[in-house]
Amino acid sequence: MSEAALAAGIAPDRVLLPESVEEVQAVVLEAGEAGTRLLPAGRGTWLGAGGWGVDPGRGDPDGEGQPGGGGEPGSDGRQGGGTDSPRIAGTERLDAVHHYEPADLTLTAGAGIGLDHLARVLEPNGQWLPFDGPACDTGTLGAAVASGVSGPLSSRYGATRDNVLGLEVVTGDGRILRIGGRVVKNVAGYDLVRLFTGSRGSLGVITRVSVRLFPRPESDVTLLFGGDAAGAVAAARRVCTHEVPVAAVEVIEGDEGGVGRAAAVAVRLLGGVDEVDESRARIVAAAGAEPSAALEGGESRAFHGRRIGWEAGAAVVARLAALPDRLAETLECARAVAALAGGATSADALQGVVRVKGSCPGGDLAALAEGLLRGRREMAAAGGTLTLSQAPAEVAARVGWTGGGGEEGGLTSRIKALFDPDSTLAPSCP
Amino acid sequence: MIPKALAVSLTGICGSDGVIADRDRLLVYESDALTAYRHRPGAVVLPRTTDEVRRAVQAITRHGLPIVPRGAGTGLSGGAVPLGGAVVIGTARMNRILSIDAANRRAVLQPGVINAELSAAAAPHGLYYAPDPSSQTACTIGGNVAENSGGPHCLKYGVTSRYVTGLTVVLADGSVVRLGGQGREAPGYDLVGLFVGSEGCFGIATEVEVGLLPVPEGVRTLLGIFDRIEDAGRAVSDIVSAGLLPAAMEIIDGPTIRAVEDSVFAAGYPTDAEAALVIEFDGLEAGLDAEAARAAEFCRRAGAREVRSAKDEEERLALWKGRKKAFGAMGRIAPDLLVQDATVPRTTLPAILKGISEIGKRYGLVVANVFHAGDGNLHPNILFDRRDEAELERVERASKEIMQICVDSGGTITGEHGVGLDKKHHMPLIYGQAELDTMWGIRRVFDPGDVLNPGKVLPEETDPAARAGWGDGAVGEDLAAAPAPAPA
Repeated sequence: MSEAALAAGIAPDRVLLPESVEEVQAVVLEAGEAGTRLLPAGRGTWLGAGGWGVDPGRGDPDGEGQPGGGGEPGSDGRQGGGTDSPRIAGTERLDAVHHYEPADLTLTAGAGIGLDHLARVLEPNGQWLPFDGPACDTGTLGAAVASGVSGPLSSRYGATRDNVLGLEVVTGDGRILRIGGRVVKNVAGYDLVRLFTGSRGSLGVITRVSVRLFPRPESDVTLLFGGDAAGAVAAARRVCTHEVPVAAVEVIEGDEGGVGRAAAVAVRLLGGVDEVDESRARIVAAAGAEPSAALEGGESRAFHGRRIGWEAGAAVVARLAALPDRLAETLECARAVAALAGGATSADALQGVVRVKGSCPGGDLAALAEGLLRGRREMAAAGGTLTLSQAPAEVAARVGWTGGGGEEGGLTSRIKALFDPDSTLAPSCP
Repeated sequence: MIPKALAVSLTGICGSDGVIADRDRLLVYESDALTAYRHRPGAVVLPRTTDEVRRAVQAITRHGLPIVPRGAGTGLSGGAVPLGGAVVIGTARMNRILSIDAANRRAVLQPGVINAELSAAAAPHGLYYAPDPSSQTACTIGGNVAENSGGPHCLKYGVTSRYVTGLTVVLADGSVVRLGGQGREAPGYDLVGLFVGSEGCFGIATEVEVGLLPVPEGVRTLLGIFDRIEDAGRAVSDIVSAGLLPAAMEIIDGPTIRAVEDSVFAAGYPTDAEAALVIEFDGLEAGLDAEAARAAEFCRRAGAREVRSAKDEEERLALWKGRKKAFGAMGRIAPDLLVQDATVPRTTLPAILKGISEIGKRYGLVVANVFHAGDGNLHPNILFDRRDEAELERVERASKEIMQICVDSGGTITGEHGVGLDKKHHMPLIYGQAELDTMWGIRRVFDPGDVLNPGKVLPEETDPAARAGWGDGAVGEDLAAAPAPAPA
């Protein structure tokens, strides 16, 4: 954990690994009394990301309505508080499975359980939690919920927020709340579970999570179609609007597509054997060409597993999103950023999301920052967004993680104040 | 009645045909579909645009009156009942579909659009709107947003909040905010998700952006007939455990079957059966027959005496008829009906159903169950006659006991109808004071002055000064005091 923090540019005052919700509560209250920032973390993957680790300064009213918003780093230096280093509350010891009834297709576990571990728990029952957002391979369940990011499977299975049934959290002022439940349909009271999903450690420390599970589909096939970049985008869009429902459509540029062409379109089919065979025949007929490769079963799973961990270790990670029919423009914008960052793109055609990663090999960081800002302006003009989740400090300081909030009329800062009145936890988002 | 000056301002904003103030015409706005709770509104306004809603909210709050937003009034929790002389803002005239963006499978609409009309408008594009509450031919999208409505097909497709991607909302102070929009990638808190299901307490949604799905290519519908309801419950658990994911699984119990078959809605279910289980699969044609055959086999193994399957759309509608018309049929055999909505873990269904039946017997009450079995979302309906005071008291006690066994099994008090007025006193069964206080806090983030739908969802706070003006009657008060509803 300390290594992860240091890698994220945070020199923590101390790393705390509480073993129970009461210990988390004590840690939160102590940090509050000491006036020290406390950053919730799982295995530390997201520290430093999107405003979690680097804050705009204590007592800042979270910059509501200002350009750049609350997540802006660098306004008072890179360490939390401006006066001292933050503490980190790691939840990795809260990793027990509390309740798992396979026939209910629900599970309750400690927030610190690794998603890799969780997959092994579910496997013998032919079930899975289809979280395939960035870092959902080795990260923790709690971090997946806190980050709220989803991956290509969300149009088939719902996004992360659609599959979280209940949470136990410790708020920034030390209250233990148990919200939602462990049944799949529940409208009792206001939906605080959705508020916490994607709240990035700014409202509370998530200590326990109940999720909805799914049966693993009988058949898992990925068809890889090679082509040039423009052809790949057009082909991906045709699959997205085709009558045959597909589980995921990705456009992968460069060598990672593994088909020896400039770009590959990866079409994932999930379902019963008959259904997948039929879908495959119809997709191939619509494409007018046999796929360059077809991955089946474990090979297909492994291919997508690599996509989940695609950004791991990259110095720059950005996410561009707009409506799916603007995929060509979004990808164009992403390529420009990738060129400056010395990296690559990976597009989720169903959602209209393009991820960019880069290693910044001795690059011109000022030019990268300008490129990101230009990209953000272009995306915003089309109703889209560009967010950063990893970047060298000076780039993050110049660009900001999210580009700031929308027109929520002060709701964001009032919500932050309700759960974390002294800004003990991560800064509010955006 | 509202002050004359307010009536004049509202007429200025919404036109004379957009304000209802005479007593007779206000009658229909006294209750929602749970007619046990009735209170007359001060007035009803029917704006057409976001700006008219904004101005109406400002005018009403200037006079210090509370506001209750209302869609079609099909809710089943008393959520749209105007307490304290509130002014109802109805969305009936905000009924335009603003755009259907087929390329991105989304639509933008006004809140008064009827659920089924959205699917009808999307159909030429091969798309539909997935959440399908039983009242979908009458209920509005705005109401669905407020209640986070479900429906039979939510088993596979999820509830309203999965499909709402953006909202324009008028807050209690008359400000207009945009939440989300153009998909769901916007950074920041998921305020759209927080707003959906807020039961008219956070604001009035005046524009709604939703996601649409492609219409499934094929559908297979089965009807299993059982001599014991527990066996039907077991078939449901077995089907799910086997990894099958039907689009819907619905159970209709013996008393409900007999009510349906005795009515004009007769669907041809055997009247000596104790449960009928409707199972539906949808998706690509390929594979559907095999899935349906497997599900039918699970029904037989669990003890089904007969499994019917629909060969065409007409037969499919016939199999569904008993389920869809259950509420209407029950309305004919008893003057009053108490509808519950608890959700329990699916595996506890057989035990809970047995428990409900025992509670009914103990109190000498007829309890008819019709429910979303795949989700574990129960709808036990207690049939009674409010004029019989002793029976009314037994209904209250039985109702509380049923709720308690559902909560004890790991369940919740409402799966899709919402808390409203009817279940707010049951909230402490599932939440502690810290959670309830936090919900009050979040409500006041949106509505610091308790203007919107006061007296709903949350039990009154312990500090009476904070809640002055709103009665905290026991659950039965309203039931007993209200006049009997007109026969359905």
